[in-house]
Amino acid sequence: MRKNVSFSFNGSEYIGEEGQSVAAALLASGVTQLRSTRFNEKPRTIFCGIGICFDCVVAINGVANQRACIVTISEGAQIVSSQ
Amino acid sequence: MIAVIGAGPAGLAAARVIALSGVAVTVIDAASKPGGQYWRHRDSVTGYKAGRARKYFDSIQNHPLITYINGAQIWSAIRKDNSLHLNYIQDGVERTLHCSQLIIATGAYDRALPFPGWDTPGSMTPGAAQALLKGHGVVAGTRIVISGTGPFLLPVAVGLAESGAEIAGVYEAQSPLRWLRSPLALLLNPEKFFELVYYAKKIKKYGIAIHFGGAITQFAAGTAQVSKIRSDLTMKNLGTREINCDVVASGWGFVPDLSLGGILGCSQAVDGDGTVVFHVNRNQKSSIENIWVAGEATGIGGSDLALVEGEIAGLSAISRRIPLALRLNKMRKQLFARALQRSYPVGNGWQDWLEDETLICRCEEVSCSHILDSVNELKAEDSRTSKLFTRAGMGLCQGRVCSRNVCELISQAKQVPVVDSERIAYSNRPIAAPISLGSLADGIAEQ
Repeated sequence: MRKNVSFSFNGSEYIGEEGQSVAAALLASGVTQLRSTRFNEKPRTIFCGIGICFDCVVAINGVANQRACIVTISEGAQIVSSQ
Repeated sequence: MIAVIGAGPAGLAAARVIALSGVAVTVIDAASKPGGQYWRHRDSVTGYKAGRARKYFDSIQNHPLITYINGAQIWSAIRKDNSLHLNYIQDGVERTLHCSQLIIATGAYDRALPFPGWDTPGSMTPGAAQALLKGHGVVAGTRIVISGTGPFLLPVAVGLAESGAEIAGVYEAQSPLRWLRSPLALLLNPEKFFELVYYAKKIKKYGIAIHFGGAITQFAAGTAQVSKIRSDLTMKNLGTREINCDVVASGWGFVPDLSLGGILGCSQAVDGDGTVVFHVNRNQKSSIENIWVAGEATGIGGSDLALVEGEIAGLSAISRRIPLALRLNKMRKQLFARALQRSYPVGNGWQDWLEDETLICRCEEVSCSHILDSVNELKAEDSRTSKLFTRAGMGLCQGRVCSRNVCELISQAKQVPVVDSERIAYSNRPIAAPISLGSLADGIAEQ
């Protein structure tokens, strides 16, 4: 049995499994959009999954441009969509 | 001190052989666990011959001569006299690793080709679906279409099916008959036949349908459009098929990550399939005296070849003799790697699938028509000039995803082939990973 980790994304509470990435935990919770693009405001989420493409960037605990696909969720983390 | 960058098959094989020879070695890797992309895992490695990983993991975690630095993102590297300095960020802190010899084993990532809708959620690379599953236990979707070219599509499809996803079809662009062009490679690599049988059994078990000569050429909210294509990837205009799905995973071979070796000045060459790779000698030594390169960064060849190259690089770095059997094994596997290139080429016909507004550069949201306008109206001669007009390749990923595609789109529009120097130019970047000015300043303050 894996330990649960709770965190927030854009103000809502989510629970993921210990060791999961931010993007994986949110996708498992049914979140299909991590941010909107700068110019066309199009939805984006995980694309390359291994930290290459930067499509999934979010702000984590106030630090901008973190790749959600490679940052592991931590208890109480506050995650918001990058602008 | 010897350092190895990357804890995938090549890096692990290098570190293990060095440690077993009684020499200390440090392995530095971006991920939190060893294995790279190929042996990515949560608790234990799964898939074909997964047990092979065990001895390497055991070495890196327990061998007293191996120091393992994980979760470390190297953002730059400096060569000073005979010493190499690797600057990395770990847990938000900037640090430096010094070494006298370096083995680069940084692997590769999926090549993505653009098509209308490739930038919408639900569209991802096969590598992303694989990483979500193997690394995080998350199945990317409920009904998935897989498209592209190369043997990697099979383990991805099988893994997803095993985990409960419905595979609504695998669309392999190339015909399996192309393998008939490489009889010697097949004959000399009989173990590949067993791997094929392993996957064939699973494909049958899960009822996965594999279609040849087709590709996903459009994706929009729950529907993938599949077209018949020729081997150069141009569309056959035989009409399209629509498939309901929530995820499309489309991948066209791999791109090696050359950033760090490029910064250090290791010379590069363009491989037969247009991939830019490091130029190495038979001992995996680069053009720089104390740097070796092993694995995908010397040419896409898969994990079997990466393991052999890693071992050769490790032995060479500590000036040990390289056994003849190892050299022969490398030649045999290189032959297979070349057969892979012949069997799964990525032609210059994918531009056929594009619409004016299809994004080419995802980061800076630069469309096909933006790029073609920069060529036709603004008279950009090459991708570098087009980039200055359009910002294609200047976003956060620094052109890792789009630069080759931008270049080949322009080459097709202008009807001129891409020159090697342009391919090498777009494969290199002065900084290997983005770093905030804050952590940069903190690192400088510490020194």
